[in-house]
Amino acid sequence: MIEREVQIVNRDGMHARPAAQIVKTAAKFQCEITLVRDDTEVNGKSIMGVMMLAAAFGSTITLRADGPDEEQAVEALAAIVANKFGES
Amino acid sequence: MHTFTGIPASRGIVIGPVHVLRWEVPEVRHRIISDEAVPDEIARLHTAIGRAKDRLREVRGRAEKHAGDEEAAIFDVQASMLEDSELIGGVESLIRQNIGAEKAFDLVMLEWRQHFAKHTHAMLRERVSDLVDLHIRVLSVLLDLPDHDPVDLPPGANAILITHDLTPSLTVQLDRNAIAAIATDEGTRASHVAILARSLGLPAVVGLRDAVGRLHGHELAILDGSSGLLIVDPTEEHLTAYRDRALREQADEIELGQLATAEPMTLDGVRMTLRANVDLPDEAEQGAQSGAEGVGLMRTEFLVVGRATMPDEEEQYREYSRVVKAFDGHPVVIRTFDLGGDKLPVGGYPAEANPFLGWRAIRMCLDEPELFKTQLRALLRAALHGDVRIMLPLIVSVAEVRQARALLNEAAAELDARGVDYRHDIPLGVMVETPAAVIVADTLVNDVSFFSVGTNDLVQYTLAVDRGNANLASRYTPLHPAVLRLIQRTVEIGHQAGLEVAVCGEMASQPVMAFALIGLGVRELSVAPRSVPLVKRIIRGVSAEIAREAAAAAVAADTAQAAHDALAERLYSAFGDAPFLRHGLPVVVDGHSFESSAGP
Repeated sequence: MIEREVQIVNRDGMHARPAAQIVKTAAKFQCEITLVRDDTEVNGKSIMGVMMLAAAFGSTITLRADGPDEEQAVEALAAIVANKFGES
Repeated sequence: MHTFTGIPASRGIVIGPVHVLRWEVPEVRHRIISDEAVPDEIARLHTAIGRAKDRLREVRGRAEKHAGDEEAAIFDVQASMLEDSELIGGVESLIRQNIGAEKAFDLVMLEWRQHFAKHTHAMLRERVSDLVDLHIRVLSVLLDLPDHDPVDLPPGANAILITHDLTPSLTVQLDRNAIAAIATDEGTRASHVAILARSLGLPAVVGLRDAVGRLHGHELAILDGSSGLLIVDPTEEHLTAYRDRALREQADEIELGQLATAEPMTLDGVRMTLRANVDLPDEAEQGAQSGAEGVGLMRTEFLVVGRATMPDEEEQYREYSRVVKAFDGHPVVIRTFDLGGDKLPVGGYPAEANPFLGWRAIRMCLDEPELFKTQLRALLRAALHGDVRIMLPLIVSVAEVRQARALLNEAAAELDARGVDYRHDIPLGVMVETPAAVIVADTLVNDVSFFSVGTNDLVQYTLAVDRGNANLASRYTPLHPAVLRLIQRTVEIGHQAGLEVAVCGEMASQPVMAFALIGLGVRELSVAPRSVPLVKRIIRGVSAEIAREAAAAAVAADTAQAAHDALAERLYSAFGDAPFLRHGLPVVVDGHSFESSAGP
């Protein structure tokens, strides 16, 4: 199981479209994926869950993956977040 | 002929065939299934979801064509929602409790919709209409209802779209070549469909309640967006009257559009300055395009209201800079936080019994120096991008101005310590919106660079009338001689000291009031972007000298009605039988409209 902290750096935060990107990427991996913000943990493959996290610009979330391809999963997800989901 | 009465949402007249679109959540009957039927029912659910996703792909394609790639992307989000294991799992679990698939899906969607609708974060509340779309879409498949949402009409159809409510699916598929107006059963003046219609420039009426159920489709109808009426199968007389009105309004629109670049100068050569009031950075571009020469009032409360945290210096700096850059060198007057402690996301301050007389605006800011200095630092930095001026609200004494200036100097020193660049000589002015500020205006002139009269609050405090109280609507009027005299005094004292005196209340866009202000010597007005052309037209159609005479008579009048009549008489003789004066733009303050009661 590995974890990585990332910061939300796009202006509008993790609204619907970024959430959809996270979920689409997470679906490619076998491992279990969880996103954590403060006390809330959600299933990274559930768009409803990811949206409920309501992670705004500047907030920090933890990416947690558990399974055979956990390293690639965390890399891939961290990259989308750092890339601001293709927004500004 | 039948007239449906609703709520006016977006002005304009359209005469055309009605196109009824049934897109609402169907009634679902509860159905119990046997244990043996459960696996088949679950399979049925998955087949329906598969077909719903196919339809979503079609909709996405149509949306890309009519609206654009970004708008179409919302359907990717909807498709992801239909793949969500929590959502599907929830439905399956209900099916396993012997509930038919439609009812199971219905119950799960209702729960998710409620969950999202009550959430503190706006980004989640905005997703409710997507959930409604999915709710309708999947149930339509499960219940084998015809797929109504393709809105394929021939171009030039000039159709009036009648629907229960405008969901995202319908909105992005709106073919502007065929749909000329929108009418919905649901909605209010402030709801999504109304805001969208106004931004698209489509006439619209909302809140019709039962139009979808009572219309077949293709009936000829008149949609009157300004009055909130849908007149179906109109008589010849109605048709003729509305066709005439539509032509006159069209001519008006063209003329107003041409005014964008015209100079706001009176017939006798007095050059006024016309600026825009901006509530949100999103309105900045619209304001700049309206022909306004800058921003007379940028409100900053949007940064705080409804938020979970106070915006930091960086965020504020970004938002202020955005507006400043949109106005490309023109002055931008930014008002510091004008709200009560109870609206702050921090501190847990309680609501007050008498908020208008309470701990808010400059008082709150001076008592919360760290909060205030964060805003001041952001403003000092944003001022590097243009001609930014800071305005303090609710001032009653020069002591407040001096304290604010001391904090401004501290904020500047803090930026120096960090080596961050900022504008060193930023102008500082005050809103004149309390009787006290007017009465002691002479003590303020040496400490400020400008005055800006806030008529909304000035009327309230001077006439002791709560502007939100519907029972007092007729007593709340800026044309009361007391208010006119206070404005006159402010202008005289300000001008004598060489200060600019502006009026930034929305009342400046009401024709009779604008005329009065010109006559009282005000040379700078700031109004909502959509009112800029109208006010410019008033300025260009009057003589400042005649306005001065009219204002003098109004100030000397003994009642508001007499003051109004003195002004209206001369204004109407200047413009003749001009429809825009008579319809006017009703000045709406907190939902209560103040309209000119006399006419030619």
